[in-house]
Amino acid sequence: MTIRSGSAGIGRRTVIKSAAAAGVAQFASPFVVSAWAADTVKIGLDNPLTGTYAAPGGNELIGCKLAVEQINAKGGILGRKVELLVEDSTSGDAGTAVQKARKLIERDNVDLLVGNVNSALAQAMAGVSYEKGVLHIVPGGHTDPITGTDCHWNVFRVCNTTRMEANSIVPLLFKTYGKKWHFITPDYAFGHTLYDGCEANLKKLGGTITGNELTPLGTTDFSAYLIKARAANPDVLIVLVQGSDMVNCLKQISQFGIDKQIHVAGTQQELESVEAMPPEARVGIWMFEWYWNQPGVAGVDKFVADIRKASGGKVPTARTWFGYVSIHSYGLVANAQKSLDAKKLAKALGDFQLPPEVKVQPNNVYFRGGDHQLMLSAFIGELLKNGDGDPENLFKVNSVVSGDSIAPPVSETGCTLKWPA
Amino acid sequence: MTQLLLFDITNGLIIGAFYVLMALGLSLILNLSNVINFAHGGFLVIGGYLAYTLLPYLGFWGALIAAPFLTAIIGLAVERVLISRVYGRDPLYSLLLTFGLAFIIEDGVRYIWGAQGKPVGIPEFLSRSLSGELFFITGYRLFMVATATTIVTLLFVLLRYTRIGIRIRAGTLDLETVAGLGVNVRALRSLNFAVGIFLAGLSGVLAGGQLGLEPTMGDGLLMPSFIAIIVGGVGSLAGTVLGGLLIGVASGLTAVFYPSASEAVIYVLMAVVLLIRPRGLLGEEGMLT
Repeated sequence: MTIRSGSAGIGRRTVIKSAAAAGVAQFASPFVVSAWAADTVKIGLDNPLTGTYAAPGGNELIGCKLAVEQINAKGGILGRKVELLVEDSTSGDAGTAVQKARKLIERDNVDLLVGNVNSALAQAMAGVSYEKGVLHIVPGGHTDPITGTDCHWNVFRVCNTTRMEANSIVPLLFKTYGKKWHFITPDYAFGHTLYDGCEANLKKLGGTITGNELTPLGTTDFSAYLIKARAANPDVLIVLVQGSDMVNCLKQISQFGIDKQIHVAGTQQELESVEAMPPEARVGIWMFEWYWNQPGVAGVDKFVADIRKASGGKVPTARTWFGYVSIHSYGLVANAQKSLDAKKLAKALGDFQLPPEVKVQPNNVYFRGGDHQLMLSAFIGELLKNGDGDPENLFKVNSVVSGDSIAPPVSETGCTLKWPA
Repeated sequence: MTQLLLFDITNGLIIGAFYVLMALGLSLILNLSNVINFAHGGFLVIGGYLAYTLLPYLGFWGALIAAPFLTAIIGLAVERVLISRVYGRDPLYSLLLTFGLAFIIEDGVRYIWGAQGKPVGIPEFLSRSLSGELFFITGYRLFMVATATTIVTLLFVLLRYTRIGIRIRAGTLDLETVAGLGVNVRALRSLNFAVGIFLAGLSGVLAGGQLGLEPTMGDGLLMPSFIAIIVGGVGSLAGTVLGGLLIGVASGLTAVFYPSASEAVIYVLMAVVLLIRPRGLLGEEGMLT
């Protein structure tokens, strides 16, 4: 059989040979004179790229990539080029996340492990990084034990703890909406610790709880829970579910008109979820962990412009910032210490203050030495039904609360860091 | 308490109606071709995203009609190129093939439309509740039930009174004899598959209006649909309808009285039915052997 192209006959073997040659050409490296040292500094990102958390995982990846690009443009780390190795941890399979973490550490010899969006996967990965003595930064897994009862000398966290989230917003919600609360809570580690934080705050303020609906992760239909919640007649319905569950829940709340009868609000809210909702579902007071529209704050405009360039015009979300901070913190500390030694860098990261171009927010932002938790601000405000000035400006920030004012003291976190000899 | 119970039974029937729509498509394909279509949730997602893309040009009603047809055309192409190759083999082949296809569709959707969820707007008049008391019965949910009821009726009329329908039913019982009588089985299977995928596409558009669109949205809706078929009885479309409504009510009631078991209850229901009546509530003995 002969495949003919134009007037000249081209044999099948010729076509195959040409294709093979073209394929080989793709992989053959051109001879480039490089000023980089022979070895690269390897950073392994083990985060969801598929499944429920693909959107936040994808945004964290964009932030990581921008940071790597910026570090390399300024000479890399210790004169060595930084290389980002990316693995898909899946969104909920701890076994896969652990397997990928082991691969990155044992086979690729990464100097830093980054991940995970999912709290349970982040905890599982922390077990591996601790066993191997590799520095590990958790960009976006919120459950308290990561920098609390299960803290390790080598593990740092960028996003808030659930207790910090509850402390940042519960007093305002109590003052604004009333004292009888009903909860819709995701039935896993993150939801339980977030609910505990809200409950502790509410009790302190003298509030009451009319009920707590524990919903399985991935719930699509919230109607049965909403019927029960409305029958309890609370002052406010607090939505703690996240991701697509948040979108489904708020969409159904708005379709049922519940937001017209009782107040609806919550703690953590993310731009990824808000953009997936129709305008009528965007109601209530919430807390963002970072927000892109901060007029007059140093470094924000440049960061937003750089991310827009890298992501087809989309603005950075808190997730993008988590990824960006994770990589830059490591680069800054490693260059300052002139070392890649995990223990030395872990000591230096404790109480490390982020510079303005990395923190891109008003308050001091630093890793706390006692538990390795980043003290980041909480952005409190209201959801906007339609973009104000920009289609993605869907949140009006009313106040920015500093991280150290909402974090419980280290003595209350249950964290005791044990350092290797 | 009685009022809450009645509310939840009604609510469960509404949820069940949606499962019925999805399960009927699965059931059609399974019954005639012995294909366990794990990619059905993927086709649902394609239907939803196609509607999202068409919405600015055709409006909600135009997208509601066009998206399922386009999904059916994609389904037909997939059937001709891939699924038809495993006809007549052990159902395990089709299960593995469609399992892989489900992942390909999910990643394809993520590649084309992005990982971030997308909102699907519905007409204003459908988004209101019937009354303050019956707040959970919205115009849109009633519309979903009406659509499911219409489709079920049309499907039963098609299968009972049309030549093609009678051939499909006959093929479900004995495909070899039907082929021996001169019926073009290849075309019959393709048409049947396309109708099944049309129902998946329609479910996707309806689900998009009720939930947000995201690449994994089919996963959570697929298992209840399979269970509806097993509970109702493989081979029986009436059984599929009964199974869908039953699991809708069961999961709705459990969510109120024992929320942590709201997912498990449908599997418990399936286990009980399989123990007491292995062929399913309205199933015929010896189907899918």
